[in-house]
Amino acid sequence: METVLKFKTSINCGSCVAKVSPRLNDSNFIESWDVDTKNPDKILTVHLNAANPDASSDAVQALIKGTGFSIESC
Amino acid sequence: MESVIKNSYPVTGMSCASCAGSVENILKAQDGVVNAQVNFASASVLVEYQSSEVSAEALKTALNGVGFDLMIEDDQDDVRQKLERQKIGELNELKSHVIQSSIFTFPIMIIAMFYMDLPYANWIMLGLSVPVIFIYGRRFFISAYQQVKIHKTNMDTLVSLSTGIAFIFSLFNTLFPEYWTHKGLEAHVYYEAATAIITFILLGKFLEEKAKLNTSSAIKKLIGMQPKTVIKVAQDGSEQQIPIKNVMKGDLLLVKPGEKIPVDGRVQDGSSFVDESMISGEPVPVEAVAGHAVFAGTINQKGSFRFVAEKVGSETVLSQIIKMVQEAQGSKAPVQKLVDKIAGIFVPIVIGIAIFTSIVWLIFGGEEAGTMAMLASITVLIIACPCALGLATPTAIMVGVGRGAENNILIKDAESLELAHKINALVLDKTGTITEGKPVVTDVIWLSDKEEEVTLKQILYSIEKRSEHPLAGAVINKLENEKIEAVEIDGFESITGRGVSATVNNVSYFVGNQALLKEQYASLSEGLKTKINALQDNAKTVIYFTDNKQVLALFAITDKIKDTSKQAIHTLREQGIDVYMLTGDNEQTAKVVADQVDILHYKANMMPDEKAKFVEELQKKGLIVGMVGDGINDSHALAQADVSIAMGKGSDIAIDVAKIALITSDLNLIPKALRLSKQTVRTVKQNLFWAFIYNLIGIPLAAGVLYAFNGFMLNPMLAAAAMAFSSVSVVSNSLRLKWQSIN
Repeated sequence: METVLKFKTSINCGSCVAKVSPRLNDSNFIESWDVDTKNPDKILTVHLNAANPDASSDAVQALIKGTGFSIESC
Repeated sequence: MESVIKNSYPVTGMSCASCAGSVENILKAQDGVVNAQVNFASASVLVEYQSSEVSAEALKTALNGVGFDLMIEDDQDDVRQKLERQKIGELNELKSHVIQSSIFTFPIMIIAMFYMDLPYANWIMLGLSVPVIFIYGRRFFISAYQQVKIHKTNMDTLVSLSTGIAFIFSLFNTLFPEYWTHKGLEAHVYYEAATAIITFILLGKFLEEKAKLNTSSAIKKLIGMQPKTVIKVAQDGSEQQIPIKNVMKGDLLLVKPGEKIPVDGRVQDGSSFVDESMISGEPVPVEAVAGHAVFAGTINQKGSFRFVAEKVGSETVLSQIIKMVQEAQGSKAPVQKLVDKIAGIFVPIVIGIAIFTSIVWLIFGGEEAGTMAMLASITVLIIACPCALGLATPTAIMVGVGRGAENNILIKDAESLELAHKINALVLDKTGTITEGKPVVTDVIWLSDKEEEVTLKQILYSIEKRSEHPLAGAVINKLENEKIEAVEIDGFESITGRGVSATVNNVSYFVGNQALLKEQYASLSEGLKTKINALQDNAKTVIYFTDNKQVLALFAITDKIKDTSKQAIHTLREQGIDVYMLTGDNEQTAKVVADQVDILHYKANMMPDEKAKFVEELQKKGLIVGMVGDGINDSHALAQADVSIAMGKGSDIAIDVAKIALITSDLNLIPKALRLSKQTVRTVKQNLFWAFIYNLIGIPLAAGVLYAFNGFMLNPMLAAAAMAFSSVSVVSNSLRLKWQSIN
């Protein structure tokens, strides 16, 4: 089962995406993710692995904040 | 030991403003980081952190985790040297490209001009031009392509379009000459044009870069004043030579005769004479004894002394000066914004003209229409290169700011440099600007009983010690000479613009000016009033020491007018500038000082915000107002003025606010600064002329307007040479500013 979450972020350009990629890819509760940098709100879409007990909106936000970019749910 | 380190480090990996924000957030989130400020433009971050809690290495690791990097290995000097080495390396590479490119181009030109009938001439020329186009000219094509990707054009667009078209056309004619010969035409090739353009433009670029390296020599001179190593004295007295970057605040350092002082600090023991001319402008060495402040970059002349480091790294006065000059050289003058705009629309217009030219030739060109159309449009593209336009302002500003620094005038932004020569009203603060700002007590009148005098002197001494007013210093000096000791005081209060008050043994005492006296209702006898008037007529400031009932004493204080003030004001007035003097001092003193230095307009009893209002009033009359001051009380007015000038040795706030800072406190630097401004602006205008004149004359010639009359067509090679010469004339014109006198 999957849960889809969307967040507003400051992930602005290709280089920003490259900076957050390792963290998002390494996390075991995220199935897949995508940032729409063309959207003014830079929407991050995350497919959570709901089977993982760590999977939560807060966990995703903490992950992004750890890279210094801003994030809020939308 | 608890100590906050404030340092600026280069950051790599930031490609947009969000990255910059990310770096800032990560650093701020680290324990022990007080503040972090990223400068995206210069790719650096200013971090303030507790060295006891976090290290620069830890900050670097934190950033590495997300793909950024903090360059902490190198200290600032090394980074600068690296950049410089890199620049010189690039220059050398450019030089070898110019030479190699000419080696290939020269035979092409000889063949094209004299040996067109040589067997396989076209093939030989093709072979020789391939390296020129694809190796030495590659940079233009890459740059043009990168510009196209972001929908922009620049001079490289013009170069690559013109040489590219010439080369492809020639290549076609070499491979398929029969296309033309079948039509009864000759298959011309233009390898010589394509390669000569690249060689000439490379040469122009090389000359330009070389000249640009020269323009920043003032900075190099300043940086050269910083020593690299320093002798640190350990607690057990042992001495050790350490790199300057390892010096911490509070370290005890030893300076030997002839050595440069490495950081700012205060002498602990030993005595010597220090040549401070680079900071103060005073040619006479200053005696450095225990307690005396010493500054980085100044030279110890004889005797050795030990001093405690107080400001290190980027905090020293010298570093601040270097930073200011660097920032100013990088700042944009308003005229530059206009130039940028012109350059932005210029290239598309030129491409338009080139297309139009080729269409006109194709229609009316007769037999050789195709060839002429191509030649003419290539020549238009080459001659129009706006690179000289791009150089016109920055080179002049760089030389101007550097020239100022050499003359003890620090210009903090290009805008002031551009505006300063337009000043027609100059407002001068009195104390510390026209006068020396070192007041001394000349007369003392005690009105109390003799036996009380010592106690009162002790009270006065204790109150004045707490006051920050410059006049308080004069009273303190006087009382210290009498070996008066301090006593306990309570309820100290500073009354802005009036004086100070304090309580001792439940009695309130006041020290201040006449306004304070009136507020406290203390009256004076007629005899005393006459005496006071006489003192004030001699430009002496009278301050009063009272309790809440009566006046206890009067002090007359005078502040000597600087030897150079009168001459400087005379020069300014000769230049047609209205000079005003503002002072918080009383009417009489103001009048006497104004008379002595020939100032017609003055205002006395001015509060700090009144000074700013006065500046504003002048501005409302349409005047361009310059403000010169040295104190915290002037900072408001300095910020209000169009051009603000802080006197050297002034308060840090005044120097911070002002856009121009004079290192020495000699007023003669002001007319010099204005002249420098005038020369710089004139140079910018001349540069714009040189940049445009080639285009204005060249473009119509290149398009072939004269062809109809006398058959003249501008050769593309000559066009390239003219274009390169245009850049060279602009840069050399800017360099001329270096040798012009501003005295």
